[in-house]
Amino acid sequence: MVNRSFEGQSVTVRIQRFNPEVDKKPHLDEFILTLEPGTTILDTLREIKNEQDGSLTYRRSCRHAICGSCAMNINGKNMLACNQPLNDHLDRKGRITIRPLPYQPIIKDLVVDRSAFWEQYQRVKPWLIPPEDIPEKEFCMSPEEVEALKNAEKCIMCGACYASCQVIGLNKRYIGPHALLKAFQRVLDPRDSAPGERLADVAGDDGVFRCHSIFNCIDACPKELNPTQAIETLRKLAQKRQAFEAQRRERQKSLIEPTPTRTAERSGV
Amino acid sequence: MRIFIIQRISAIALVVFLSLHMIVVHYPPGHLDFSRVLERLADPLWKAIDIAFLAAVLFHALAGTYAVLTDIERVTPLKRILAGILVVLGIIGVAYGTFTILSFQPPASLSAVH
Amino acid sequence: MYKSTGFISFFLRRFTGLVLVLYLGVHMWVIGAATKGAETFNARLEVFESPVLKILEILLLAAVLYHGFDGIRLIIVHYFDVTDYRKSLFYAAFATSALLTIVGGIPLLLYALEMLS
Repeated sequence: MVNRSFEGQSVTVRIQRFNPEVDKKPHLDEFILTLEPGTTILDTLREIKNEQDGSLTYRRSCRHAICGSCAMNINGKNMLACNQPLNDHLDRKGRITIRPLPYQPIIKDLVVDRSAFWEQYQRVKPWLIPPEDIPEKEFCMSPEEVEALKNAEKCIMCGACYASCQVIGLNKRYIGPHALLKAFQRVLDPRDSAPGERLADVAGDDGVFRCHSIFNCIDACPKELNPTQAIETLRKLAQKRQAFEAQRRERQKSLIEPTPTRTAERSGV
Repeated sequence: MRIFIIQRISAIALVVFLSLHMIVVHYPPGHLDFSRVLERLADPLWKAIDIAFLAAVLFHALAGTYAVLTDIERVTPLKRILAGILVVLGIIGVAYGTFTILSFQPPASLSAVH
Repeated sequence: MYKSTGFISFFLRRFTGLVLVLYLGVHMWVIGAATKGAETFNARLEVFESPVLKILEILLLAAVLYHGFDGIRLIIVHYFDVTDYRKSLFYAAFATSALLTIVGGIPLLLYALEMLS
């Protein structure tokens, strides 16, 4: 937010609290502490919980941006707490506001109920549906085909994108950028033998045609993934579903056997 | 899906139609009244263009309204009823509009509309 | 709601869309007077010759232009990967529609002021 460093100075951390046993609605609590160099937002939450208010509740695990547990809403934007220096998100007066991920019911403080998120993920069948013939050694995918899947594979299921999408805010039945990114990964995978079925599933009323290109998901993603582009690609493929499926069946024939280039390489030509 | 595609197509058509409309109807200076409209619509080509314009606008507007309303979770179960109402409104709109456009006949001419 | 340029674009697009649907109804009602003859038609058009409504026409122009350019932006987004330019595209659409609103709105404003004097 500001370039200024607040190291060694007092900072104000405002956290949204909600204890269902006691509170009627969420409210903001303020905590003051001194900023040590290199402190992340997650470090700050731990410090507050250990030294000021033991009832502060939040999710965390790996603390290095791979488990996806600590996604929350910092100053109005969704991000992970563990890889963000606290200093980067302080305003001119040294304040930061931490709230839970939006559009989901709050269980307590910064912990939200993510069941809708996971249900939508299950809905796109996020597993490989292999062809009937399986090769003895390996599927011979080309480097381009592997590259096309790289982005979607990096997803850590943190939920930052899902909770930034206004379409989700309006309609919990929308499949969501996270699941559609995974659907994209499966549809583009040449080893998968049901692209037509997958495309039909996501082309329904709650799927890819509900995306309104708001782009919040790209802004929120801690791994810099691109659900919007994945959804656009799915939209184009959904319109040519049968042709794509026929293409896949063709491709799978050569997937099991080595491609001519590889045989040439092996024989040193 | 088809609604989405035709929505996009009608959008592009509207950009063309609307630009044409603005340049031909609203850009020329002077007071706009019945006789000026009649001058343009006496030509059957303009009548045809305006009817196509009307159809594109009604489709885009009603499909857009459908999209906006069905985005709201509470409305989703009612989407068939909503679609039905909007289709009826569209048909009435096209019929009423076409009838109106065709009625721009110069009084001197005694030829029937059909 | 989550605040961002994407959200502003989305919200304005929807809002102008709904405004335009309502306007369409009014427009069809006015033009529909043609079936009742030239006098009724001209009388209905006269209603809109008041200065207040002329000013509202400028807002209408703004709505049409915004909705149109944002729509064109959406079509570009659909056919090209604009991830890197997503913010610039939004600003370009907004700026173009604002500029054309001013260009088209000045004659309307002058006409309205003329009517007031």
